[in-house]
Amino acid sequence: MKVAAISMAAIKLETLAGYRNDLSDFLKSSRPDLAVLPAYSALVLGLGPGAFVPGPDFSATFYIFSADIEGWNEIFLDLHSDLAREHGIYLSAGTTVELDNGSYYHTAYCFGPDGHLCCKQRQTHLDSDERDYDFSRGEELHIFELDGADGKTYKTGLMVGNDARHPEVGRIFAFLGADLILHSGALHAGPNCWAQTAGMWGQVQQNQFFAVEAQLYGNIAGQQFGANSAVLAPCEITPGSSGYLARGYPESPVVEAVLNEKERQRIKKDYPVLDLLNREAYSGMLDLYPGKKNEGA
Amino acid sequence: MALDSIKNYLFSKYLAWITRPSRVNKHLSSSLPSRQEPGPVDWRKIRAAALQLEFKLFKTPLDYVDEMHRLTARAANEGARLVVFPEYNNLQLLGLLPGIEKMEESSGEKEGAGAKSGEADVSLPDLFRYMSPVVQPLVHTLFSELARAYALYIMAGSYTLSDQGKLINRAFLYGPSGRLESSQDKVNLLPMEHEWRIKRGKSFSICETPLGKLGFPVCMDATYFETFRTMELSGVDIVLLPIANLEEYNFWLALRGIWPRVQESPLYGVKGALVGSVADFTFTGRAGIFAPLELTVSRDGVLAEVEPCDREAMAVADLDLEALHALRSDHPWRDSNPALYRRYFPHIYRTE
Repeated sequence: MKVAAISMAAIKLETLAGYRNDLSDFLKSSRPDLAVLPAYSALVLGLGPGAFVPGPDFSATFYIFSADIEGWNEIFLDLHSDLAREHGIYLSAGTTVELDNGSYYHTAYCFGPDGHLCCKQRQTHLDSDERDYDFSRGEELHIFELDGADGKTYKTGLMVGNDARHPEVGRIFAFLGADLILHSGALHAGPNCWAQTAGMWGQVQQNQFFAVEAQLYGNIAGQQFGANSAVLAPCEITPGSSGYLARGYPESPVVEAVLNEKERQRIKKDYPVLDLLNREAYSGMLDLYPGKKNEGA
Repeated sequence: MALDSIKNYLFSKYLAWITRPSRVNKHLSSSLPSRQEPGPVDWRKIRAAALQLEFKLFKTPLDYVDEMHRLTARAANEGARLVVFPEYNNLQLLGLLPGIEKMEESSGEKEGAGAKSGEADVSLPDLFRYMSPVVQPLVHTLFSELARAYALYIMAGSYTLSDQGKLINRAFLYGPSGRLESSQDKVNLLPMEHEWRIKRGKSFSICETPLGKLGFPVCMDATYFETFRTMELSGVDIVLLPIANLEEYNFWLALRGIWPRVQESPLYGVKGALVGSVADFTFTGRAGIFAPLELTVSRDGVLAEVEPCDREAMAVADLDLEALHALRSDHPWRDSNPALYRRYFPHIYRTE
């Protein structure tokens, strides 16, 4: 199955039509079975055509965006549903802000080849900025079945932003049976390759799933984002045992690779990392987390 | 009694005799410095040493004692307060068995870790069991004396020992008083160790010391985030990890242990490695000292790492516990979601 991580570099954002055309051109030339967009895609897309006016900085811009989100979400989601259907692919549309019962969530959405919504996933772990924005945490992780062009069905989960740095998320997905994780990320530009290695790379290695990591390239209200989009797999089935099937630079528009599920199953059999985990030894770990005893069920 | 049994009995008595604590003590007394008092501890600068040992088969126990002493002294001379030895630090003592080299040669012709070794049709686990009554007192005497003489915390590495008839892979931590502070049985085992019927540890030891809270899981335990999360949530500051990686060196494969774990759960990690070849086993690694990205100058998570992956070496670095605590108290991205964990963890970390 061919997958693509799209950074949004080199995509025109001035108008919705321009965005649609550029993304369509990418999808036509790359012809992936699955494409993944980065975090904050809805925000970037809203600022370009002027649907939102940026504030003096990223935080203020994010507040402005969140305060008037519902109408824009409809446009954003319809657009990507259409694109998925038009190209007959799975399209993980990146993230937007979801408002539900007065709570705000940072949420990713994925559409299937017929344009239907296959999955939405709220971010479950917030960084200090996101806590300042009064975001709420998702409390569930969802798996959906992605029918690959290779005839395999991939149990797939979406991972949002900072969740890549929290290995609990990958482990829960793994025990829900995930074969593939689609990660929408956005890291401040800078020397952050090791932060990425500590994130999605580490999760892939200790859970032996595939991951498509789309990292945002762009500038939002003076804040530059940029990191390496990548397609990851267990080290043993990647060139040079690097854990990367493909890895770009921050400004690479798209990073592509073909997933070989048979090879992944082989390494899972040869070195069954999850079967070797002594689960019983960690049965008391839950009680160690702060706030565990104080929060209601 | 059959002749073989008599030989076996006499040889085990001989081994016990040549490794007896009084002999080790006497040997060390001529070379150890007079006992030093531990100096004051500065939590902004705790010097740690990660040792990389090159595998050798020692023909006499006192050669092994001298080697461990030499390495400890080397770390102490660098000002280390904390020293970490590797996993399987008992393998080198198999050299005390006459004919072990022949077993090495023939083991290359057989497949699997459970393969019988050599003419005597003895397996490696059999050898571990046979040597256990000798190794345990020798190690205890040796590292207790070294820790006391140099006023160090020494994580003496791990040893395959017999405990109530079951093999275990057990690490030991000695303090500057010479006391055994704690031991730790390896919790997560390699497939080879399952074949050897090694018994898994059930939990993790944590030691509160003047150098901060210390934990010392063993090798494969660092494959899983849960080990270091347990340590972090228990307030551990420094994880001491003995490893013996049975694979050709590859940067990425070697990265899969302590390095990402220290990033996921902010604490310091000190890794001691066994390297070199024995029979058809090749151990590789790079001993090192690791920290959260935010606490390293190059933002790469590495405070010190030895260059060679197949020769003796030592990494030394200073750990700043105050900086670690400050990072933890105002961390830019760490978060916790108890409601999420409550939903799933009871199904994942079930009691079997």
